[in-house]
Amino acid sequence: MRNSWVEEFWQLVLIALFAVVLGLLSGQLWMVLSIFLLGYVVRNLYNLQRLVHWLHDPSGMDIPIHFGVWGTIYARIERMRLGHQQRERRLNELLQQFHSSAAALPDATIALGAYGEIRWFNTAAQKLLKLRSPHDIGRPLVNLFRTPELSGYLEKGEFSQPLDITAPGDSQKKLSIRVTAYGDGERLVLAQDVTDRFMAEQIRKDFVGNVSHELRTPLTVISGFVENMQIADDQIPKHLVRPIELIAEQVERMRSIVDDLLLLMRLESASKEVPKNRVDVAELVEVIAQDGRTLAEDRIQIDVDIQTGRCLRGDAGLLRSAFTNLLVNAIHHTPKDGVITLAWVENEGECVFSVADTGEGIAPEHIPRLTERFYRVDVGRSRERGGTGLGLALVKHVLQKHRALLKIESRIGAGSKFSCVFPSAALVE
Amino acid sequence: MDKSELSHHYSQQFNADLEEIRTNVLAMGGLVEQQLEKAIDALRSTEIENAEEVVANDYKVNAFDVDIDERCTKILALRQPTASDLRLVLTVIKTTADLERIGDEAKRVARMAIRNGASDPGRNLYLRIEHLGNQVREMLHRALDSFARMDVEEAIAVAHEDRKIDREYESIMRQSMTYMMEDPRSIPLLMDVIWSARALERVGDRCCNICEYVIYFVKGKDVRHTSLEQIQKEFGE
Repeated sequence: MRNSWVEEFWQLVLIALFAVVLGLLSGQLWMVLSIFLLGYVVRNLYNLQRLVHWLHDPSGMDIPIHFGVWGTIYARIERMRLGHQQRERRLNELLQQFHSSAAALPDATIALGAYGEIRWFNTAAQKLLKLRSPHDIGRPLVNLFRTPELSGYLEKGEFSQPLDITAPGDSQKKLSIRVTAYGDGERLVLAQDVTDRFMAEQIRKDFVGNVSHELRTPLTVISGFVENMQIADDQIPKHLVRPIELIAEQVERMRSIVDDLLLLMRLESASKEVPKNRVDVAELVEVIAQDGRTLAEDRIQIDVDIQTGRCLRGDAGLLRSAFTNLLVNAIHHTPKDGVITLAWVENEGECVFSVADTGEGIAPEHIPRLTERFYRVDVGRSRERGGTGLGLALVKHVLQKHRALLKIESRIGAGSKFSCVFPSAALVE
Repeated sequence: MDKSELSHHYSQQFNADLEEIRTNVLAMGGLVEQQLEKAIDALRSTEIENAEEVVANDYKVNAFDVDIDERCTKILALRQPTASDLRLVLTVIKTTADLERIGDEAKRVARMAIRNGASDPGRNLYLRIEHLGNQVREMLHRALDSFARMDVEEAIAVAHEDRKIDREYESIMRQSMTYMMEDPRSIPLLMDVIWSARALERVGDRCCNICEYVIYFVKGKDVRHTSLEQIQKEFGE
């Protein structure tokens, strides 16, 4: 670089000298000097114009000047340009790689902008959601994917649970939608085809339902005949009386299992709509407590502690069976002279129905699994008491239908407390 | 955000208002689609819960109708839109009216399903109604898609579908009449079947209307009461 400046400097000096000599010879020193200097300026201006022209399309033209300051300028610009080009190519490659890998994702993936408009989507989204590229870029997703649940879900902005819905335009297809928020209000929507999973679940439910239904008829027949035999027990040989009694007991037990299974199935398959009838919980608790006292036969003391008159929005029959289930469980697990307390309490907008007993308590490792079907803490004993193994599963489903939660606290030896927490939305204003 | 068919105004608010009514129409369309789907499903199944839900949710459709109409009135009064903006507002007003009617037809079908819960007019006939229902559902879906994309070609294609639906409807009518002649006791039930089929056929017609509004919005020409062939000749590529 210094070389080029030196070169330029000597060039200028040479021109000036030449001009001075010529000027001295002709006697018009200043005139000749000005003409030469003007020429110098014009040459530089011309070079400047060539530079601008070249910059317009640098790759299409050869570099016009290779020497002097101008040559240096061209060389530098060229180097910078090549560096840029390389970087751009590398970035493009990266972007291409990213796009092709995202496009190859098996789940439909859609990037949404801050207004819910589609920014980008992959090939799976084209197939699964019938989006068209690039026609649909920039359109709000909810315009093309119009299921009301989805727009509600996106509007709510609460994405911790995936959303299961039917695919637009194809009711046979089930989708599981997950949304991740990122950046400034942007969202990434992932849709997975879960038709197979859904079908398997459906088959399982149908199977349980059908089996339960089919078992009902033979059970009715058996119990009818057993009852007949029991009525006419004087005609029955003595050694058969006890077996018949056992048959009657077991048939009754089986019938209650079948009934519970059918009820569970109804709860599962019924729509997610929350029932809307007004339920006076205080009154309900009194009725249940009365039933409980009859069942416990003075063996156990049952207290009622009602601190609020709030009413629930829900289905009285279902709530009654759920609450009764909790109370019956408590009665079964509380020894003689124990105390069971039924409470209905309002606490920070939520209302809680709880059943607390002074029974033997439940070990912590069992608590998370208690609401599973047929899960038993102590297999032998609970069967002996006639439990179906479905009680708490039923309670959980009934509560889910009412948007409520089941909370279980227990300490071995100190008793257990089952609480049903109803959010303010489930309460009547 | 890209509003390819909607013009760009200096007033951001105006842009947002126009975009919003369109999005609202499509949200309403989504709800109506769901109502129709549930109603058709209810016809097939013996459980009436879905059908009751359709009847109970009809007020939501009506609320959309009223709300969108009010927004449109406000835009007309405050912005005095012209050209394509005016066409959009008019299209939206007409489309919501048709969607609301489709919602009513869905309710009618659901009522029929509730009334006839368990009774079956003969397997074949329900299958055909279901088939008709699925065709209509598909048509509504595509009509709304063409509205969302303002896609004239798709709109014309959807309008073509209506002929199939008319044929299907006529054949259900003929079949029902045959059954009635064979066994007069089945008439009350078959009347309901005919009414359901009629309601579904009407939905098909309303989908056609929506497609015509799409053509009106994009091309600026009113194609109502024009034959399909003529529309195709004029706009189809």
